[in-house]
Amino acid sequence: MLDTVRQIETPEGVFLRLHSAGALPRAQAWLIDLVIRALVFWAAMIPLGLLGRGGMGIGSLVIFALTWIYGVVCEVWFGGQTLGKRVMSLRVVGADGTPVTLMPSVVRNLLRVVDILPGVYAVGLISTLIDPYARRVGDVVAGTMVVHVSDTPWGLQVPVLKAEPPPAGLSAEEQAAIVEFAERCGQLTPQRQRELADLLIPLTGRGGEDGVRQLVAYANYLLGRT
Amino acid sequence: MKQDRFVALHASEWDQLQAWLYRAETKPGPTMRAEQALDFPASYRRLCHHLALAQARGYSREVTDRLQHIVHQGHRLLYRPPPPRWHRAAFFLVAGFPRLVRAQWRYMALAAALLYLPALVCLVLVHFKPEFAHAVFGSGQLLEFEKMYDPSNPRIGRSSGTDLGMFGFYIWNNVSIAFRTFASGLVFGIGAVYVLATNGVILGTLAGHLDQIGYGAPFWRFVVAHSSFELTAIVITGGAGLKMGLTLLAPGRQRRGQAMMAAGWIGAQLALGGFAMLVAAAFLEAFWSSVASFPDWLKYGSGALLWVVVLGWLLRGGRGGHGA
Repeated sequence: MLDTVRQIETPEGVFLRLHSAGALPRAQAWLIDLVIRALVFWAAMIPLGLLGRGGMGIGSLVIFALTWIYGVVCEVWFGGQTLGKRVMSLRVVGADGTPVTLMPSVVRNLLRVVDILPGVYAVGLISTLIDPYARRVGDVVAGTMVVHVSDTPWGLQVPVLKAEPPPAGLSAEEQAAIVEFAERCGQLTPQRQRELADLLIPLTGRGGEDGVRQLVAYANYLLGRT
Repeated sequence: MKQDRFVALHASEWDQLQAWLYRAETKPGPTMRAEQALDFPASYRRLCHHLALAQARGYSREVTDRLQHIVHQGHRLLYRPPPPRWHRAAFFLVAGFPRLVRAQWRYMALAAALLYLPALVCLVLVHFKPEFAHAVFGSGQLLEFEKMYDPSNPRIGRSSGTDLGMFGFYIWNNVSIAFRTFASGLVFGIGAVYVLATNGVILGTLAGHLDQIGYGAPFWRFVVAHSSFELTAIVITGGAGLKMGLTLLAPGRQRRGQAMMAAGWIGAQLALGGFAMLVAAAFLEAFWSSVASFPDWLKYGSGALLWVVVLGWLLRGGRGGHGA
């Protein structure tokens, strides 16, 4: 079991696997947000600057909204994603995987003040490294976590080959390993495919290209193709 | 049943549900009103059943990941929180917030003591030893304050700036301070204690100093109205911060994590109420307090009235069984 996966049992009796996001993608999302907010502020100040001192007052309101309100509004009304999190495919969810609500969102965004101490997110970084689900202090107190929206690209296909029955006596895990290899071999280099398939020469009796093809043929059989 | 046959049997159903979930996320209004929405809980639960089957039968990740993905989407939609209602915000401000403040009265009293005691001590100290003001403020700062509260100044409490400009500045500055007071209270209450005490010292010393040099009248005329909201809001957010810090130190008969989450929930509500109070304070400070031409009876009368309103609201608001 990967340690960053949080399993939640839903009321329907199935386990939901939430892949919690570590410090790096979150820092990237935060940087994107920072740039966006700086650009919005800059764009707002051009017309406001022409209004003189009254414009400065509205500018203060703009910077207030960007600093304190932006995160809460994005999380509560736009699916738990600020723009930066949307780009990085991250999402803020409650501890049970449901959308984040107003109060937890307020808590985690206000407590950013503590996480950002001493100016470079040191507290937040240490907290994400200690916590099994990579939560910063604000997340821990709010009872929220940041997850990857889609961690593994589903829809990997086993290449279609003529099915061949594998030798009898393979355990369920061994069968699953063969299918998983066949699913993923499209993402591996040919050299790596051969290297992995060569481990199973005792099973397939063939090395190199032929071994890879043999394993994929077994997988086709195990999936029920003819 | 082999995996491929399972997929062939159900794939179209999964695709339909996923397409519907996608529409529900992008266009929630019309999608949720359509008749198809009635089928959603049933088809979602059937999908959960399929996922359980796929996991039990050891199907590959091609299937389980795909189903996981749809289940997560469905879970978020089925168990979404109800949309926030605005009348609840009004109800919270009128009744819920004062109740919450009274329920936390120990922390509020502690925070008030941390703000007002240093202020009183400094006020008395400057009265008897005027040079104490120079120990707190630099001479440049003192000059700036003296300019702000110069009796000949047509707008009290500022050396430059328009009403609107100052309104924005007060919101940004004061609310940020309040939020930081609350949040920094998490660090064992140190942040909240520091902010409350230093604000007390600054306030007391400034008041004492301006009294000494004969600028007391403009100062009190300036602060009397908006201080009701502003100082009380700082006390409340500071108290919320103290609650978090002290809960971290002594969670009582709860696990620390649970206790912190409860304290955070209460603290966030107090911070939001404090935010509303500070908006009111900024409005008063920018558009009412700064007007020098109002006569004394209007200034002090309105100030006294506001203090009575604020304290009455916090002490009496939400009492009585109505809507409890």
